[in-house]
Amino acid sequence: MHDEPGHGHHEHHDASSPEVRVEALEDLLVERGLADPERIDATIRRFEHDIGPMIGARLVAEAWADAGLRQRLLTDADAVVADMDIRGAEIEHIEVKANGPGVHNVVVCTLCSCYPWALLGLPPNWYKSPEYRARVVREPRAVLVEMGLELDPGTEVRIWDSSSETRFLVLPERPAGTEGWPAERLAELVTRDSMIGVAHAADPGGQ
Amino acid sequence: MLGPMQSDPHRRGVHDLGGAGGWGRIPYEPDEPPFHADWERRVFGLLGAVTSATARRPGEFRYALERLHPDDYFDNGYFGRWLAGFEVLLAEYEVVDPVDYSARLEAHTGPIPSEVRRMSPERRVAPVADRVPSMLPPDRPVPVPQRRTVRRDLAEPPRFSTGDRVVAPAPTQPGHTRLPGYVMDKPGTVAKLHPAEVLPDSTAHNRGERPQHVYCVGYDARTLWGDDAEPNATVYVDLYECYLTAAESD
Repeated sequence: MHDEPGHGHHEHHDASSPEVRVEALEDLLVERGLADPERIDATIRRFEHDIGPMIGARLVAEAWADAGLRQRLLTDADAVVADMDIRGAEIEHIEVKANGPGVHNVVVCTLCSCYPWALLGLPPNWYKSPEYRARVVREPRAVLVEMGLELDPGTEVRIWDSSSETRFLVLPERPAGTEGWPAERLAELVTRDSMIGVAHAADPGGQ
Repeated sequence: MLGPMQSDPHRRGVHDLGGAGGWGRIPYEPDEPPFHADWERRVFGLLGAVTSATARRPGEFRYALERLHPDDYFDNGYFGRWLAGFEVLLAEYEVVDPVDYSARLEAHTGPIPSEVRRMSPERRVAPVADRVPSMLPPDRPVPVPQRRTVRRDLAEPPRFSTGDRVVAPAPTQPGHTRLPGYVMDKPGTVAKLHPAEVLPDSTAHNRGERPQHVYCVGYDARTLWGDDAEPNATVYVDLYECYLTAAESD
């Protein structure tokens, strides 16, 4: 993951390239005892492998399977998250917004890129892009169509701009044809993008 | 020197993108991985080390990004702006000497042309931060908060209730704020109260916590965008109590 720092194998990059700059900064901080390469590696590994959309997907699937849990998740997600022992960054206060007939929710952070890391992992680039941040508050339907999601004209679109430390998770609609499925199997249908609100949950026929 | 545009608090920062025109197609990639290059992994991995040594108060790191030159904000994407923000903070907090850093870069690449020399304030940081010393976040002797959470219990009751009509005027001073430009001066309706939080507008400048009630305020799309608005859309924004005044009845 981080082999041979500082051995000058970046001749093809100039000094303004991020490759060279991050290597120089990391070397300086490590030399001063302010950073530890093993901790850096461990942080990267955690967010590439252990913390990701499967955590939020588990919450959604359990809520699909259990009406009581669904109600608690919509009224007091912090308590559900604590009960399930989900911990980590960027979930000081969680609100879950349910999609349903006539209502579709979509999440953005127009001022930076706030996102519920401990539930969904790190955000994808498109979520952090100026295009998404600028446009989804102004033309949500057009943006969703561009991303492959067409909403009924009668459906109300609710856009949640994450401007405080509250973080939002969308509870997508449970796909038809999944009656009686256990939560573990339902969780496989819950995509990251459906929990941001730019897609529906996956089609069970595709399983 | 501070031009009229730069001193105008209504001027929206580089980061304040909601509703901004001129942006094209969403660079959408379903199931996109969190990193696209190894340098992005290294930048992400350094966040804890850099912020522990520099921006430890709520809002400080975001404010460093907001002060970047637009090229540094947009080039190289999200992790590119983090890296540029690290450079700004490490220099401002005097953790890394820009001369040492330049020497290290030159060891990798040979002499650096002056126009790309990094960590030079003329290139890197927006004019407000350069020219108005009170906008810089020093005051290093003041202890940083010990509690990691930004939530606070407030004795005072909230000034507004669900259903109240409110408006957030543009700030009178430049600096860090979580008030998006696109809702300034527009009437909205309180939809819900969130837990109270410290005020990032204050903590980012090391001016104390000033905890606030936080309101989720709903704005009808037609109020925000006029006749251009798409039908049947509501934008919800979370706003700190001190941003808000009662809206005149309409």
